[in-house]
Amino acid sequence: MRALILAVILSFVLSAFSNAQKTIQGVVTELSTGLTLPGVNISIKGTTVGTVTNFDGEYTIEVPDDETILLYSFIGMTAVEEAVKGRSNINVAMAENSQKIEDVMVVAYGTTTKEAFTGAAEVVDNKIIEDRPVTSFEKSLQGTTAGLQVTASSGQPGASATVRIRGIGSFGGSAPLYIIDGVPMSGALSDINPNDIESLTVLKDAAASSLYGSRAANGVIMITTKKGKKGKTQISFNAQSGISTRVSDGYALMNSTQIYEQTWRGLYNQAIIHDGKTNAEAIDIAHDKVEGIVGFNPFSSDNPLDDSGQLISGTNVLTNTDWRDQVYKTGITQNYNLSISSGNQDTQLFFSFGYFSDSGTTIGANFERFTNKINVSQKVTSFLTAGMSTHLSHSKVNAPPSGSENANPVRSAEAINAASPVKNADGTYNWDNLAVFDFNPVALSHMDKYEYKTNRGLINAFLDFQILPSLSFRTTGSIDYSQNKGLNHYNPNHGNGAGVKGRSTQSVADNTAWNISNILRYNKSNERSNFEALLGYEAHGEKYEGLSAGVTGFSVPNRHELMWGSSPEMPSSSSTEWNMISYLSQVKYSLAGKYYLSASLRSDGNSRFGENYKYGVFYSFGGGWRISEEDWMPELSWLNNLKLRASYGTSGNSSIGNYASLGLYAGGANYGGYSGLAAAQLANTELHWEKITAFNIGLESRFFNRVDASFEYYQRDSDGLLFAKPLSASKGFGSITTNLGAMVNTGFEATLSVDLIKDKPYSNTLGFNISTNTNEILNIESDQIISGTKLIEPGADLYQFYMREWAGVNPENGMPMWFTNTASDDVTNNEELTSAYLDPLGTGRQVTSDYGDAERIRQGSALPDFFGGINNNFAYKGFDFSFYFYFSVGNKVYNYDYAGGMHDGVQPSSNLAADAANAWTPNNRYTDVPRYIVNNQDQGNQMSSRFLEDASYLRLKNISLSYTLPKTLSTRVKVNNAKVFVSAENIWTLSKYKGFDPEGAINGTTNNVIPGVKVISFGIKLDL
Amino acid sequence: MRLFHIYILIAASFLGVALSSCSQDLLHLEPTSAIDESEVFNSIATAEAALIGTYDIFSTYSGEGMWGPLMSDVMGEDIMINSVENYGWFVTVYQLNVMANYSYNTNPWWVAYSVIYNANRIIAFAEDVPDATPDQIKNLQGQGKVLRAYSMLKLIEMYGQAYNRDADSEGIMIVTSPVDANSPDFDRSSVRATYEQIVVDLLSAIDLLEENTDKGFFDVRGAKAVLARAYLDMNEWEKARDMSKEAHEDMELMSLNEMLSGFYYRNSETIFTIAYTREDNNIYMSIPSFYWPEYGYSSIRANDEFVNLFESTDARKNFFQVYEPIDADRNIVLKFAHNGQVGNAERIAIRASEMILIEAECEAELGNDDEAQDALFRIQQRAMPSASKSTKTGAELIDEILLERRKELFGEGFRWNDIKRRNLPIKRLGDHWSKFDFTASDDDYYRLTFPIPQSEMDANPLINDENQNPGY
Repeated sequence: MRALILAVILSFVLSAFSNAQKTIQGVVTELSTGLTLPGVNISIKGTTVGTVTNFDGEYTIEVPDDETILLYSFIGMTAVEEAVKGRSNINVAMAENSQKIEDVMVVAYGTTTKEAFTGAAEVVDNKIIEDRPVTSFEKSLQGTTAGLQVTASSGQPGASATVRIRGIGSFGGSAPLYIIDGVPMSGALSDINPNDIESLTVLKDAAASSLYGSRAANGVIMITTKKGKKGKTQISFNAQSGISTRVSDGYALMNSTQIYEQTWRGLYNQAIIHDGKTNAEAIDIAHDKVEGIVGFNPFSSDNPLDDSGQLISGTNVLTNTDWRDQVYKTGITQNYNLSISSGNQDTQLFFSFGYFSDSGTTIGANFERFTNKINVSQKVTSFLTAGMSTHLSHSKVNAPPSGSENANPVRSAEAINAASPVKNADGTYNWDNLAVFDFNPVALSHMDKYEYKTNRGLINAFLDFQILPSLSFRTTGSIDYSQNKGLNHYNPNHGNGAGVKGRSTQSVADNTAWNISNILRYNKSNERSNFEALLGYEAHGEKYEGLSAGVTGFSVPNRHELMWGSSPEMPSSSSTEWNMISYLSQVKYSLAGKYYLSASLRSDGNSRFGENYKYGVFYSFGGGWRISEEDWMPELSWLNNLKLRASYGTSGNSSIGNYASLGLYAGGANYGGYSGLAAAQLANTELHWEKITAFNIGLESRFFNRVDASFEYYQRDSDGLLFAKPLSASKGFGSITTNLGAMVNTGFEATLSVDLIKDKPYSNTLGFNISTNTNEILNIESDQIISGTKLIEPGADLYQFYMREWAGVNPENGMPMWFTNTASDDVTNNEELTSAYLDPLGTGRQVTSDYGDAERIRQGSALPDFFGGINNNFAYKGFDFSFYFYFSVGNKVYNYDYAGGMHDGVQPSSNLAADAANAWTPNNRYTDVPRYIVNNQDQGNQMSSRFLEDASYLRLKNISLSYTLPKTLSTRVKVNNAKVFVSAENIWTLSKYKGFDPEGAINGTTNNVIPGVKVISFGIKLDL
Repeated sequence: MRLFHIYILIAASFLGVALSSCSQDLLHLEPTSAIDESEVFNSIATAEAALIGTYDIFSTYSGEGMWGPLMSDVMGEDIMINSVENYGWFVTVYQLNVMANYSYNTNPWWVAYSVIYNANRIIAFAEDVPDATPDQIKNLQGQGKVLRAYSMLKLIEMYGQAYNRDADSEGIMIVTSPVDANSPDFDRSSVRATYEQIVVDLLSAIDLLEENTDKGFFDVRGAKAVLARAYLDMNEWEKARDMSKEAHEDMELMSLNEMLSGFYYRNSETIFTIAYTREDNNIYMSIPSFYWPEYGYSSIRANDEFVNLFESTDARKNFFQVYEPIDADRNIVLKFAHNGQVGNAERIAIRASEMILIEAECEAELGNDDEAQDALFRIQQRAMPSASKSTKTGAELIDEILLERRKELFGEGFRWNDIKRRNLPIKRLGDHWSKFDFTASDDDYYRLTFPIPQSEMDANPLINDENQNPGY
C-alpha cells in the first residue's frame, strides 16, 4: 500500500516536473536557401502561447509536455507542425508556399479566391513574363490565355502588340483597359519593365470587368507589380543577353542578272505589244533602254545581253546588292535587373532597377529603357496602412518611318533592285537608284534621325484604414505623367531634306493622367456564409499638351538641334483633355462554400459625350456553384472540383475624340499669311456611350488531382457602337460620329492543364488552350461600306476581304484574268460584259482580262477561325525545360508587300520577287505570273485574290532551358540561388505564308513594317 | 482611436463633396484648338477668319492648290508623268484610268464640297455678325459666292458632261445653304442647272465686290474672270467675251522676263493667285515640286510633239530642255520654279493672258476676226517679238487661238477641259508612254469625265449605280 501511494505521488511529481519545465530550442531556416529565417512565429498548437525567432533564426520556447505540437508559421511559407516527442532541439526548414497565386487572385478593386470568383478571368504569373527578351509584357501573353488574341504587328524594338480580348468589340479602339496596381494606365506598355510584374489578370466577362464600367467593354488587363515580402531581405540580380534576327528569310528577291534580264524582256514586250514594233526593232529598243530603266549596268560588259535578253556567258557580274542584307542585321538584346525585396511586420519594400536594350534587326531602329520601381507600404498604426508605388522610366527609341514613305528602310530593301550599288567605287554612297531615287537606306541610317524619348513617372499612393474589423476604407491618388520628345532630322543633301537643305523638327508632348479613388469595404462572415460590399467614388482625367517646332536650312552635317538651321517653320502647340467621374458599388455573397453570388453597379460621367448623355450606368450579375461540394454528389475520388458559373452584365467604351459631340471650327486653317478658322466637325449632341452586354457561362473542373479543365461560352453584344457614319460630301464632312453600329461576338474557350508527372524529382506539366470567336456586324446604318481590301456589312465580320477573284494568266497572250463573277452584288447588273470569255484554264467559268469588268466577291477574313497555345514544362532536379507554341488558323492576309514585288512592270525600276521571273512568255505559257511589260497597263498587280494568302501558322513561341545550381554549390559562394538559362523566342514557324511573318496587323494587310524577330538569349540569375 | 475614425470620415466626406462640386466643371470641357460653331459668326474677327479658313481648304493641294491644275494638264496631250521615278503619283490619271474609289477622283470632290459647306455658312450668316459693317458683310458674301461658284465650276467640269455636249445630263449636287448631318441628301441636278447657279452666284458677287489690291483673294475682277470661264464652257461667246474683257481691263501683261523667271509670285497681270506660304503647306505637294526637275517629285515631262509646236523664235521654247543628267530622253519643264526653297511658290490661278485668249476665242467664234487677231497678237507678241499678227480667219483662226492657249497656258490647268468643252479629239503621239487616239464620238471619250466618287455613292441614297457617269 505504501509502495502504491509512493508510486502515485512519484508519478504526480514527475508529471508536474515535465508539465512545468521542458524547454525546446532550435533554428528555423528556409528550405530552398538554407539561410536562417528571423521573425518566424512559433506557437503551441491549440493555445495562444508562442514566440518568434530572433535575427539569427533561433528560438527558445517552453512546452508543457512531450505531446506538445509546435506550429511554425511565416508569411509566404508553408506552415510546419512538429511534435516535440521528447526532443529538446528542433530545427525546422520552411518551404516557400508556391500555392499563393492560385489562392488569391487580383480582380477589379480587390482580391478574391478562385473558388469564390463568379467571373471569367485568368491569371498569368511572372514565370511567363520574366526573363523574356521582349520589350513589353503583352507580347509574352500570346497563347497563354484562352480568348486573348495578341499580335505583334512590327519588329520595331519597343513597338506594342495589338491585344484583343474575346474578339473585336468596337469599330474604333478595341484595346483592353490596362490597370496597374489598381489605377488605370494611359501611356505606352513598353515603359513597364516586365520583370517588375508579379502577375497579370485578364478580366474577360461582365462579372469580372463591369466594375470598370465605361472603359471595360473590351476587357481589362490588370497588372500587379512586385511588392516587398515579410522576412529576410532578398537581393536578386539577373543579366541576360540575346541575339535577334528577322523571323524568316521571306520570299526571295531577284538578283541583278535576273532584274536586268526581266527588264529587257519588259522593254521588248512593250515595244512589240504597245508600240507595234518588229522583232528586230524591239530587240534594239530593249538593248538601248534596259540600263536606263534598271538604273545601272551591273556587268563588266557594255552589251551584256544577247538578242534573246539572256546574259551572255562569261560576262562578269560586278554589282549584285542584296539590299535586305544591307538593311537587316543581327540585333543584340540586353537585359539587366536588380531588385531588393525586404519587409517586416510593419514595413514592406520592393526596389528594382532595370535596363533593357535592343539594338534592333533593322538599321536605324533600336530601343533602350531604364526603369526604376519602388513599392513601399508601412503599417502606420494598428488601423492605418500607408503605401506608395512609384514607377520611373526613361526610354529612347529610334524608329525610321514605315509604310509607303520613301525613307522606310524596309520598303527600300524590297524596292531597290540588286543592280543598284550601295557605294560608288570611290567609297562614297550612291544615290542614284531609280526605285526610291535619292534615298539610300544605308546612308540615311547614318544621316537622318528619328529619335523618340519618353520620361515616365507613374506614382500612386494609398491610405488604408481598418475602421472596424469588418469595415475598411482605402483612398488612392495617382499621377501617370509621361513626357514624349521627338527629334526628326533630315540631312541637307539627300532624301527628304534635300529640297530644303535639311530639316529638323522637335516635338514635346506632356501627357498627364490623374486618378483619385475612395473605396469603402464591408466584410462580414461566419462559418457558413460570407458577405462583402464595396462602395466607391473615382475620378479620372487625362490631359495632353504638345508643342512642336522645326527649322530648315542646315549646312553643318550631323548637327540636329534646331539652332543649327537657318529658316524657321511654322511652330505649333495644342492641348486636349478629358475627365471622368464615377460611382461604383459591388456586393458578393457566398454560402456554405457552394453558392457564390455577385452584383455590381457603376455610374460613369464622361466629358467626351453629348450634353444629355454624359452619364452611363453599367451593371453585372454573376453566380458560381461548386457542384462537387454538394452533399448529394457521390464522393468521387477522381473528381476534385466541379464548378459552374454564369454572368451577365454591361460595360461601355468611350474611345472617341475628346470633343466629339461638339460642332467645331478649328484654328490653324491659315492662308496667305493670315490665320483662319475652318469647320472641323459636325455636332452630335446625342452622342453617347457605346455599350456591350455580355453573357458568359463557364465550367471549371479538376480530376485525379492532376487535370484541370475549363470551358467557357460567351456572347458579347455591342450596341450603340461609336461609328463614323459616312456622309454625302454635301454635308461638308465625310462622316459624323454616331452610335449607330451594332456587333456581336460569340465564342468558345477551352483550357486544359495536366500534371503528367508530379512526383519529385521529376515533374511535367502540359497545358493547352484554344479559342474561337465569331465576329458579326449587326448594323452599320448602310448596306455596306467598302474600305480598302474590306467589305463591312451586316452579317459579316469586321475584317472581311472583298476584292476581285484572280483566275490566273491567259496562256494565249499572258494577260491577267479575273473571274467575272457577274452574280456578285458588287454591280447590280448580272449580265456578262463583252470582255468576258470562257476560262481557257478549264474551270468552266467566265473570266475577263479587263480588271474593271470583274466584280468583287467576299473572300474570307483576316480573323482566325481559332487560335490558342500549347505549353509544356518539364522539371528535373535543378533543370527546368519549357516550351510553348502558339497557333492561329484560318486568318488571311492581303500581302501588299509581295504585290509590290510582283508589279508586272508597273514600277519598272523597282525590284521584283524572284517568283516574277516565271512571267508568261510564248515559251512559258502555263504560269500564274502575267507577261512582263515596262509600264504595264494590264492591271494584273491591282488588288485581287492573287495576293490574298492563308496566313495560318504554328509557331514555337518560346523555348527555354534553365539550370539552378544545387544549394551545396551555391551556398559555398554565398549565393542563395543561382540559375543559368537559355531562352529562344519565335525560332520556328510553320506556315504557307510568303512574307517574312504571318503574324502581322490584325486587319490582315501588310505595309512594309519591320518584320518580326526571333531571339536567342542567355542569362544568369542570382539571389543573394 | 474612435475620435480618429471620425476624423477620417469627415476628411473623406470633404473630399467627396469637394470633388462632386467641381464635377460639373470636370465634365464640361472645351477644346483649346477649336471654337464652337455657334461662336464663329458672333464677331467680324472670327467671321473673317472663317473666310480665310475657306481659302485654306480651297487652296489645299488635293484641290486647287495642285491636283486640280496638275491633273488637267497630265490628262491632255502636252504634259506627261515620267514613266519611271514617278513615285506612283498621277500615273493612273495620266493613263486616263481613274476609278471611282481613287483618291485622284474622290479628293477633289470632297475638297470642293468642303469649300462649298464653309462658303454657304459665310454667305448665310454674314448678315448676323453683330459688329460687321455693311461693306464687310458684302465682302464676306461676295468672296463666299466666288469660292462657291469656282468650286461648283470645277466640280461640273470634272464630274459632269460638257455643257455643249449634253446640258441636260446629270450634273452635281447643288448645295447653296447651310446643312447639317440630318438634312435631306441632294441628288444630281442637271448640268444646265449647275451652270445657272454658278452664273447667279457670280453675277451677285460682281455686285457685292470691289477691286482689291491683294490678289490672293477674289475681288470683282476675279468674279468676272471665273464667270468668263463659265460662259466659255457654255459657248456663251458674247457674255464670255464681255466678262473676260472686264476682267483684264487696264491690266498690264507681265514681261517675258517675268514669265521666264519661274512663275512663282503674283505680277501685274495676276487676277487671282493662290497665296501659298511655305510655312503652312506641304511643300512637296506643290506645282514646282512636280514640275521643276530638281528637289521635289520632279516627275513632269513635256511631250516632244508638243515642244515641236513652238517656233524656234518663241521664247517659251526655253521652258523645255532635254538635259541628260536628269532625263536623257524626255523634255523637262522649266516653267514653274521654286522660290528659294522647295515648293515656295504661289500658284497664279487666273491671269490676264488667259482672259485675253478667252476674248480672242469668243471674238473668233462671233466672227469678229479682226478683234480676235488683235487679242491673239497681244499674247504672241510677248513670247515672240518677231511675230506678225495672224491673218487667219474662221475655223483656222480658232484653231490657232486654241493652239496659243496650249502654248501660253500649259501647266496652268486648262488643257483637259479645253478638249472636253470643245469636244476635241485626244491624240497622244511621240514620246508619250500611254498613248491614246480617240474622238468625241468614240466610247473612250467617257475617260474625260470623272466618275462620281464611290464614297459619295456609298453615303448618299439619292446617287446610285444608275446615276454614275457612263463608262464607269
